[in-house]
Amino acid sequence: MKKTLLVLRHEIITILSRPSFLFAIFGIPIIGSAVFIIAGQLSKGSSAQNILSQLLSSPPTVQVEGYVDQSGIITEIPPSVQPGLLMAFPDETSAKQALDSGKISAYYIIPADYIQNGKVICIRTDFSPLGSSGQSGLLEWILKVNLLGGNTQLASLTNGPTNIQKVSLSTTPQRDENNMLTFFLPYAVTIMFYIIILSTASLLLSSVAKEKENRVMEILMISVTPRQLLTGKIVGLALVGLLQTIAWVGTGRILLARSSTTFNLPIAFQLPPSFLIWGLIFFLLGYAVYASLMAGLGSLVPNLREASQATIVVIFPLIIPMFLINILIEEPNGLASTIMSLFPLTSPVAMMTRLASGDVPLWQTLLAVVLLVLTAIIVVRSVARMFHAQTILSGQPFSRKVFFNALLGKS
Amino acid sequence: MTKFWRVAWHEYSRHVFRKRFLFALLSMPLFLALMVMLVILVIWMDSNPTPIGYIDHSALLANPLPQPAVKWPMRTVPMLPYTDESVAKADLQAGKIQTYYILPEDYLESGQVEEFYIKEPKGIAIEQFTSFLSTNLLVNQPKDIAKRILDGTQLIIRSSDNKRESSQERLVNIILPFISGILFIIAMSTSSGYLMQAVVEEKENRTMEIMVTSVSPGQLMSGKILADIAVGITQIVVWSLFIALILIFGRDFIPFLSGFTFSGSMILILIAVMVPAFIMICGLMAAVGATVTEASEGQQIMGLFTIPIWIPYILIATFLQNPNSPLAIALSFFPLTAPMTVAMRVGFTNIPNWQVITSIVILVLSAVGSIWLAGRAFRLGMLRYGQRLHWKEIFSHQRA
Repeated sequence: MKKTLLVLRHEIITILSRPSFLFAIFGIPIIGSAVFIIAGQLSKGSSAQNILSQLLSSPPTVQVEGYVDQSGIITEIPPSVQPGLLMAFPDETSAKQALDSGKISAYYIIPADYIQNGKVICIRTDFSPLGSSGQSGLLEWILKVNLLGGNTQLASLTNGPTNIQKVSLSTTPQRDENNMLTFFLPYAVTIMFYIIILSTASLLLSSVAKEKENRVMEILMISVTPRQLLTGKIVGLALVGLLQTIAWVGTGRILLARSSTTFNLPIAFQLPPSFLIWGLIFFLLGYAVYASLMAGLGSLVPNLREASQATIVVIFPLIIPMFLINILIEEPNGLASTIMSLFPLTSPVAMMTRLASGDVPLWQTLLAVVLLVLTAIIVVRSVARMFHAQTILSGQPFSRKVFFNALLGKS
Repeated sequence: MTKFWRVAWHEYSRHVFRKRFLFALLSMPLFLALMVMLVILVIWMDSNPTPIGYIDHSALLANPLPQPAVKWPMRTVPMLPYTDESVAKADLQAGKIQTYYILPEDYLESGQVEEFYIKEPKGIAIEQFTSFLSTNLLVNQPKDIAKRILDGTQLIIRSSDNKRESSQERLVNIILPFISGILFIIAMSTSSGYLMQAVVEEKENRTMEIMVTSVSPGQLMSGKILADIAVGITQIVVWSLFIALILIFGRDFIPFLSGFTFSGSMILILIAVMVPAFIMICGLMAAVGATVTEASEGQQIMGLFTIPIWIPYILIATFLQNPNSPLAIALSFFPLTAPMTVAMRVGFTNIPNWQVITSIVILVLSAVGSIWLAGRAFRLGMLRYGQRLHWKEIFSHQRA
């Protein structure tokens, strides 16, 4: 027991004294808060936004554009059109002259066969087909009104109803599609859990593989049993990971609480305090599963480089929820989401996403926890069996077959 | 000279004739295919064929025409008339319809409708209801005019010097330079990653001492550099073959790909930007490899270079809207961000000549600089173990 504590203390001290890790724990929340504050300021609309938009937009150009109507469709300009935005030109040469002299920034040609083909050619100095298309919307509107004989009411109705009153008959609160935070909150939670679980689990992998690679393992094995080493490492890194989880989730909570006034978040989409507790539970269990798998991997690979290549075998199930993150957020109670959040290898990430994006029935959360606990016990036990001096000290190259056989107890 | 080729062949075959490399090579087109399928699947799923109900008090939909047929993979959403709101509501709650609309008597004047739903329907389904309304609105208009209004206008954008023309539907011409830029950069990072490994690897496993007894450092390094660049080029060639195949065979089946032309000047700009960028990155990576003592340490430093290379990709949305913004111009002059930024802008807009030239000049200068740096770092750091080479030493005038 004493030796386990020794291993534990050593792991915590070595990791916490690493600058890159300290940056991950404290630097990322600080950067996150900075981004959040800036985003909050921007959504309020302030001078910062002006500078930013100036930096991102094209140099200002003349707003006036011209058109050449070869089809003779345009007989009148609807009164709703602000005068001076579109100038009529009798032919292309005069329009081109105006463009060259800088009087207009672009001109449109409406060919004679417009009604048959529907093509309008836009000639502009600043060629950007996917960018803002100037007054083309206005021109289309004018064309449409003229085609309908000047009936503006009919023309506006062809775009569909001008005013839709939406009435939801559902009893549960609706996700506000327009508020970006309702999407980004679960998204951020997923990514955060993914990163925390994976990074702590790979710390374990690298610490095992490194000691193996530089042959410290051989000396360690003289005085510590493999079981003690494994327990010490897993628990030590779990504490470090816990610190990271608390720092990240805590900052997230505080920021959210502060920003709910800034972003006008509906109350149902704020994270309840129980979220923090579930977060801790799912982190610990997810970590237990993945860290032991990584430790097992570490005990089999001969060096660090092969270790990082072999991780894909283990982390693959965790990537699945990342791929399907849209489904998880859009339909947190759909079939695929439910399966993913119950299946033990994906549940640590998937369940947290669901918890962040809507209400989850309590029995499902509890079931996920129970399944995850069972998996954790099985995995930890089989990895402990794998983690004995013979495999740790052998230098054989890694193969998937050996890994899964060892995990299943067939050696 | 034979030794040079031997080194080069060894390095090339060691990377290319491997399962993992072949897998990476083929996984890119597979991944693209998967993405396309995913998009199709999403459209197919979003156009939920559960009917949309409506109650019409305005007599607009007395003898309704169906909405225009939708294109695959969208599915047609049937429209169901109701007369009684309570029936519609019951059907909505039973899941027989996904939503229902109520058109008031004065719909033609007010344009107001009410929409009832339990779960908000997707935009693709609502669009079909909108086009259903417009179709019936235009029943009394002449056929060709009604068709024109329903189909909308196709805007063709032409640059003022008549050199480039693009309609908003022919996106492929605009996106292709961008995609080839991405592929170029991926191949570039593979090559340069191998290069960094190549330098540090022999140092790490102590083969270097034996190697230098029979091969000169110059031969060793130039052989490796050539081989690793060849690996990158292999990737580019295979991927371009795939793209060319898709373009040639897909043109007949997929309307999106038709009307594809690749202008010569565009290719020229891409090559002129990518080649010095390629050399610059490779030089930088070799320099990193020579200064560090372990491969894992080198990978961390490599990340510092990789992030700026991909920054323009993150900003793609703003570049799309405003390809000539001050930020875009600034990023096309900074050597690490330039390759991606120029590749994107070349598709999205016409880059002014002076900007292209400045960008290329900066890249060439940085390429020369990085090769100088790599050569120096390599000579100083080749046989140095356990101790990192400091940047100060590389720049100091002391001869190695």
